[in-house]
Amino acid sequence: MKTPLFYLMLSLTLLTISSCDKVIDVRLDNDSDKLVIEGNITNVSGTQTIKLNTNVAFSNTNTYPSVTGAQVKVNDQYANVYAFQESSPGIYTIPKMAGITGGVYKLSVTTKGKTYEANSKIPVQVALDNVRAFKDNFSTDENKKKITVYYTDPKGLGNQYNFLLYVNDVQVKRVFANNDDFTDGNKVAFDLAQDDISIYAGDKVTVEMQSVDKTMYTYWYTLMQQGFKGPIGGVTPSNPPNNITPEVLGYFSAHTTQTKTITVK
Amino acid sequence: MQMARSIFTIFITLTAIAAYAQKKATINGTVKDAVTGETLIGASVTIQELPAVGTATNNYGFYSLAVIEGEYTLLFTSVGYKKIAQKVSLHKNEVINISLSPKNDLQEVIVKSKRFSNDNVVSPQMGVEKLNMTQINQVPVLLGERDILKTITLMPGIKSAGEGNTGFYVRGGGSDQNLILLDGAPIYNASHLLGFFSTFNSDAIKDVSIYKGGMPAEYGGRLSSVLDVKMNDGNDKDFTVQGGIGLIASRIKVEGPIVKDKGSFMVSARRTYIDLFLKAVPDSSINGSSIYFYDINAKANYQFDDKNAIYISGYLGKDVLGLKDVFGTNWGNSAGTIRFTHLFGSRLFSNTSLIYSKYNYMVESFQNNDGFKATSKITDANLKEDLQYAIANNHIVKFGFNILHHDIAPGDITTTKASAYNNRHVEQRYGYETAAYLSDEWKVGNHVTLLYGVRFSYMFLLGPGTFKTFDSNGATTSSITYKAGSVVRRYLNPEPRFSASYLINDENSLKASYSRNTQNIHLLSNSTSSTPVDLYVMSSKNIKPEIADQVSTGYFKKFNNNAYEFSAEVYYKWLQNQIDYKDGAQLLVNQDVESQLTYGTGRAYGIELFLKKKYGRFTGWIGYTLSRTERKFDAINNGSYYPARQDRTHDGSVVGIYQFSKRWTFSGTFLYGTGNAVTYPTGKYNIGGITTFSYSKRNNYRLPSSNRLDIGATLEGKEHKRYHSSWTFSIYNVYAHRDPYSVTFRDSKTDPNMTEAVETSIFATLIPSVTWDFKF
Repeated sequence: MKTPLFYLMLSLTLLTISSCDKVIDVRLDNDSDKLVIEGNITNVSGTQTIKLNTNVAFSNTNTYPSVTGAQVKVNDQYANVYAFQESSPGIYTIPKMAGITGGVYKLSVTTKGKTYEANSKIPVQVALDNVRAFKDNFSTDENKKKITVYYTDPKGLGNQYNFLLYVNDVQVKRVFANNDDFTDGNKVAFDLAQDDISIYAGDKVTVEMQSVDKTMYTYWYTLMQQGFKGPIGGVTPSNPPNNITPEVLGYFSAHTTQTKTITVK
Repeated sequence: MQMARSIFTIFITLTAIAAYAQKKATINGTVKDAVTGETLIGASVTIQELPAVGTATNNYGFYSLAVIEGEYTLLFTSVGYKKIAQKVSLHKNEVINISLSPKNDLQEVIVKSKRFSNDNVVSPQMGVEKLNMTQINQVPVLLGERDILKTITLMPGIKSAGEGNTGFYVRGGGSDQNLILLDGAPIYNASHLLGFFSTFNSDAIKDVSIYKGGMPAEYGGRLSSVLDVKMNDGNDKDFTVQGGIGLIASRIKVEGPIVKDKGSFMVSARRTYIDLFLKAVPDSSINGSSIYFYDINAKANYQFDDKNAIYISGYLGKDVLGLKDVFGTNWGNSAGTIRFTHLFGSRLFSNTSLIYSKYNYMVESFQNNDGFKATSKITDANLKEDLQYAIANNHIVKFGFNILHHDIAPGDITTTKASAYNNRHVEQRYGYETAAYLSDEWKVGNHVTLLYGVRFSYMFLLGPGTFKTFDSNGATTSSITYKAGSVVRRYLNPEPRFSASYLINDENSLKASYSRNTQNIHLLSNSTSSTPVDLYVMSSKNIKPEIADQVSTGYFKKFNNNAYEFSAEVYYKWLQNQIDYKDGAQLLVNQDVESQLTYGTGRAYGIELFLKKKYGRFTGWIGYTLSRTERKFDAINNGSYYPARQDRTHDGSVVGIYQFSKRWTFSGTFLYGTGNAVTYPTGKYNIGGITTFSYSKRNNYRLPSSNRLDIGATLEGKEHKRYHSSWTFSIYNVYAHRDPYSVTFRDSKTDPNMTEAVETSIFATLIPSVTWDFKF
């Protein structure tokens, strides 16, 4: 349950107004050139994409070397095999594919003589009922808004969600994951609380909602927990546990997707 | 029960020794402060004619000495008091109660070296630090709030959990491995305002001791340390009111006799008032917030006669934090102790306590669509019997038992009708921690003293409830439902305790100790700093008792007529059944919280150097610790040892207090510490459009080292018949050093194609404060 702790963190932030940040030089070890798999299969018919690249040293620019010439395929439980083609360096795609709800997809990536496999299941789609903007109670800026998403969680535990937020087509660089541990079967209003981009009236806000399986939820939730910074401290960071064996960075997520765009009033 | 039998044999032998010691008469009594009537703990009682005989008063000011009949001069001394020499003609058992007058003169008469004054050279106990309340009150502090928890972290081997945090680590242990006792009652969360202040209002505190190693057998239940805090009993001679007005809080204390020289009471209270200033801010998101804490300490005692006394003490503290119409939260401890002391004959001192203690928190959300109220609490009821038997002059036996009942309500959520949240109840847990102990302090000749004993801890986890076991992946492997009162799991742990001292001469000694401690109640928190959302679990089918074995040895010296003390102690500690959390662990209001845990081992070792000047116009100390603290978990760093977060290679502090004149006292503290071990990234990649960092090893880096200088001055008001007042000025962080609190990593603000490291400091400026204290 994130909410109570989250409130406490915010209040501590209020408390320590005297705290301050400074950019420092840290010489970090370099453990790069590790394979990163970022694979998504959605229930929306269209191009599905698996990206392969490697991680880089902290001091590098945010550009990641592509892993080219890999064999990438996805199987479903009906013995269909989808062979992905490298449409641009490191980006493996298949045009016109749609995952189906309840379908289990198995990713297989072979590169440099090694094969990596992952399973993911597309859960039941849960409708994104609404997206609304409200005054941000925690901000001293009267005009600042926060975004709340509305959905109705189906009865029965085991629904997990991941949200992506865009403000004027720029992605908010925070992870928003939620499950139904505390909200099973209810109408849910979930705050996408963040401090990356300030939102004001007139902004165009787009929310993508994904229904994800349990492993992917743990992946996103771990990243989200590590994203809680600030004076109260977060958890000790680590590479989030994923569904790929043997162990590499990244994930393979089969999920439903839907988006809603509003103009903030 | 081989061990129990051999202890019994030892006990019988000791009793026999006592029986043979014939023609002896016993002197016993209580040593008190002549002005306030407070009993004096650790006052030295010696006999001029028999330099090998002596003792010290116990926690209730009681002493007992058995000597061969004759004419003697008894000497009573205590730090900061005038010495009293009392002639006694001893032909039968005598009761001698003494009141010592505090010394006020600047040029203190230095107490000549005494073999049996209860100092660090003579006592076989090692790894103990006693704090003098006068010194605590003169050490400069944050915002003028005197704080025993912050002052103890200036001692070697005790490290602060971080700036503005009252959590502390002792010899590599976690902050939940400290047993914090207030008049015998455990205090589960000793911090106010998320750690900026401690729950101990120093006005109400009489004595503070912390045991870091060689734990006496009467203490148990935590691995690392015991912080034993005792409240003032109250002045049984005069009615007094004292208080203080500070920048963020005010204090008041009232004490006085109930029946003169027989009984007294003390009530002390403190409250912060930042919230009143916040109300004045026009911004609605600030003036609608509530933020304050208060605490109340109260105590009363009555001495029926020389043999019987009763003490009743209580504590209540609460923090409130909230934002109007958004959320509210409060948390606090309450504790109460009723204690009877009784003297059987003239040598067996008994102390029976009934103790109650509770910690709870509540978080409430008022928002329409996610209204809820989450509560959690832990309630303890404890019966404790401690006996001290002065069998002979060379044997003091302590024994007793303790039956502690835990009632833990890990979490309940109640919701409003429109809320997105569901009601939830996590099963309440019940259990008993019982213990019995026996120890003997044996003076073997003039040079060697042994302190040996054993504590048996016997823990029961009881039904009702459903208890599961989990495999290493967190999957349920069994689930059994138990009836109320049936035993789910029991753990018996013998804990041997042994200390020995060898007195080289009057001024030098060597000591060694071994002790085992076990812990059956565990704090779960995967946040890197303290929050009030504390979750306690008992040892269970999944969680085994934590075990620590510690060996230590040391050299102790006093010199310059006892004005200086020096000690060097080395220790090595092995830890078993330590707890850590799986990635993405969900700890709160989780019925299956134990599925989120992993278990490992640890080790800690180090050397502590301590030089203290006890008397004179200039007092203070220098402490330095060189240490290493490591943990080992299968799933972390390929199962090899890694530095624990609190591993701090170098940790040093200097404290100085200078009494410049009758009215002015100046003080300063300087501290330095290696940064905490932290996990920094070793690479980066992109996930879902977000720069994400990759990690190779746990705690592979260090925060930058920290250092800070604080200074203070106290100006005593002019002598006045009816009242007394003083001003205390302090500057925290004099040279405005930015002590690193955390380092985080993000996309660069100036060049979005790069990443940067950001250091956060809590206090980047100096913080001055002033407090006015009064007494009448």
